[in-house]
Amino acid sequence: MGAIAWETDMKAALDKAQAGQKPVLVDFFNPG
Amino acid sequence: MDAVTYPQKAVEVFLADSMVALRIPSDQPLAKEFKVSWTPTLVTLDWNGQEHHRTVGFLAAEELVPSLLLGSAKVYSDLELFDKAFGCLGKLFSAYPASDAAPEAIFVHGVCGYKSTHNPAPLKQAYEQLQKTYPQNEWTKRAYPYRLL
Repeated sequence: MGAIAWETDMKAALDKAQAGQKPVLVDFFNPG
Repeated sequence: MDAVTYPQKAVEVFLADSMVALRIPSDQPLAKEFKVSWTPTLVTLDWNGQEHHRTVGFLAAEELVPSLLLGSAKVYSDLELFDKAFGCLGKLFSAYPASDAAPEAIFVHGVCGYKSTHNPAPLKQAYEQLQKTYPQNEWTKRAYPYRLL
């Protein structure tokens, strides 16, 4: 998945976004 | 996306600087909650978890970054953080003027201009720019009423 620091938990992502006042990209992907 | 788009440096840098990136498998309950029926589905949320922008299907790096700039601009505009919205749109116009996201970005720029000033002139300007640059685009059609402002 390269150098992108993917979060895997919605709450953790929203907490991080709130702290940085940043939007969240959610990638819903096919796990195969 | 994993093989082609996400390894691109422009994508890595943009996500590190400007967004929080979250990956959710499409077989998880959250995917159903967001009514995901195909992958990849990319959703832009604000920090309260509210959706503002969505795409379905593959995007190359030169389309993903402007799409995410547009999504971020919509987040900031909806939260009435207009300086940040204009900042995202400005980056899109300067770095990705030929991207598929550009016409909608012109429309959103007009909306931000109106919402931030209560002056209808930016809406008319958006229509005029769309008509000149993208006469057949759907966003030109959506802005058509603004010609009368």
